[in-house]
This record gives sequence, structure tokens and C-alpha cells, in this order.
Amino acid sequence: MSLAHYLTLSAALFLIGLFGALTRRNIIGILMGIELMFNAANINLAAFNRYLHPKGVIGDALVIFVIGVAAAEIVVGLALVLAIYHARDTVYAEDINLLKG
Amino acid sequence: MRLFAFYSLSAVVLLSALGVVLLKNTLRSALLLGLCLAGVAGIYGSLGADYLFASQILVYVSGIAVLVLFVVLLAGRASELRLRQVNDQWLAALFICAVTFWGMRRYVIEAGAALPAGSPQPATAPIGRLMLGDYALPFEVVSLILIAAVVGAVVFSKSRRGKA
Repeated sequence: MSLAHYLTLSAALFLIGLFGALTRRNIIGILMGIELMFNAANINLAAFNRYLHPKGVIGDALVIFVIGVAAAEIVVGLALVLAIYHARDTVYAEDINLLKG
Repeated sequence: MRLFAFYSLSAVVLLSALGVVLLKNTLRSALLLGLCLAGVAGIYGSLGADYLFASQILVYVSGIAVLVLFVVLLAGRASELRLRQVNDQWLAALFICAVTFWGMRRYVIEAGAALPAGSPQPATAPIGRLMLGDYALPFEVVSLILIAAVVGAVVFSKSRRGKA
């Protein structure tokens, strides 16, 4: 097992998430793609910490920060999705094309 | 053993991520998202990051995945199951993914670090010391962000209901 294995896994997960975030019509699907990209970045941080700096924990601490910020992002995003759904009765991104709806 | 753990967990993560992205049924996508996040927790376990394993399960699998599931159930309709879930730009998205892959490829190939000797040490106590020592300020900033997110979520979901 080398570092390249983990980097390959995280690159594949990042690309899958990027594809989902770009192509999904549903806003919830876009948010799920963004979550996959966050997780790919976290795998990278944890792998770098284990392989390049095995005595320290700073990579792990950065992952904790990323998890906290991602949790805040998904909470606000899902609240916005519910508000948009109540106001416009749709969750599809192409129907929401006005700033002042 | 380590090889087997890595490849089986990678298969779980990548196949369920493909399901999240490609499946038509959003409810199944949300359930597979939970499986994918649990697989990422297993990857943390294979890297010896014990605290990350626990917090991934606590925050992602039992927090975010369940929240996404709630919103899918609240903001979904039965008629959506027959609708297309992918927009017209999938070819352009595939192109962007290919370009990004080409950029990442070099760094993946050049990173040839072997596994350092010694088994991983428990990381919980050092992380706690780091959070209350050198990283105390970022730690407080993250707690501020979380409070702002909670207040924002309440405001967004409350004002719309008052108007309707």
C-alpha cells in the first residue's frame, strides 16, 4: 500500500462528485455531489498525515475543521432547499433562474 | 490483509458514489450516500486515524446522511421517479472531469511514499491538546460558523413559513 493508492481513490471519488454536482438537476443531488468532493479532500488530508508526517496529528485536525464547515454548509443548503420548495414548489435547479423570485 | 481492506473499502466507496451520482431515484441516492460515507470512515480506519473514524460516523453517517434523507422525503414527489435526473450538459461535465483528471494524474504518479514504519498511535489526546493549544482560535471560529449556520437555518425555514 503506498500513498498513490489513497490519492487515486480520492481523485476518483472527487471526479465522481464533480460529475454529480455538474450534471444533477435536483438541488439535493448537487449537494450530495459536493459532499462526495469534501470526503475526497478529507481522504487526501488523512493519507498525507499518515504517510508524510506519521508522528503529528495536524492533518487529522484539519479534517475535523473540514467536517465542521461541511456540516454547517449542508445545514444551510438544505434549509434553503426546503424554503425554495415551499415558495416555488420545485427542487430543480433550472427552474430557479431569478434572483427575485 | 491491509491490501484486502483497502480494495474492498475502495470498491464500496466508489460503487456507492457512482450510485449516488447516477441513480434516478433520489431516495436511493441518499441511502447510498450514507453507505459511501461509512466506507470513507472505513478508509480512515485503514489509515489508522481512530478519531476521524469516530467523528466521520457521528457527523456524516448519522448526521448529514440522515438530514439529506429527511429533506429528500420532505421535498420529493412520486412523479419525480419518472423524470430525467441528469441535465443536458453531461458531455461538457465529462470533459471537465477529464481535464481535471489530467491535471491530477501527475501528482498521483509522483507521490510514491511508502508506509512509514511503526503502527499508528491513538490520535484523540494529541488532537484535543492541539485544539485547545495551537489551534484554539480556528477551533473557536468553527464554533462561531456552526452557530451562524444554526441561526441561518432557523431564519431561512421560518420566514418562508410566516409568509405562506
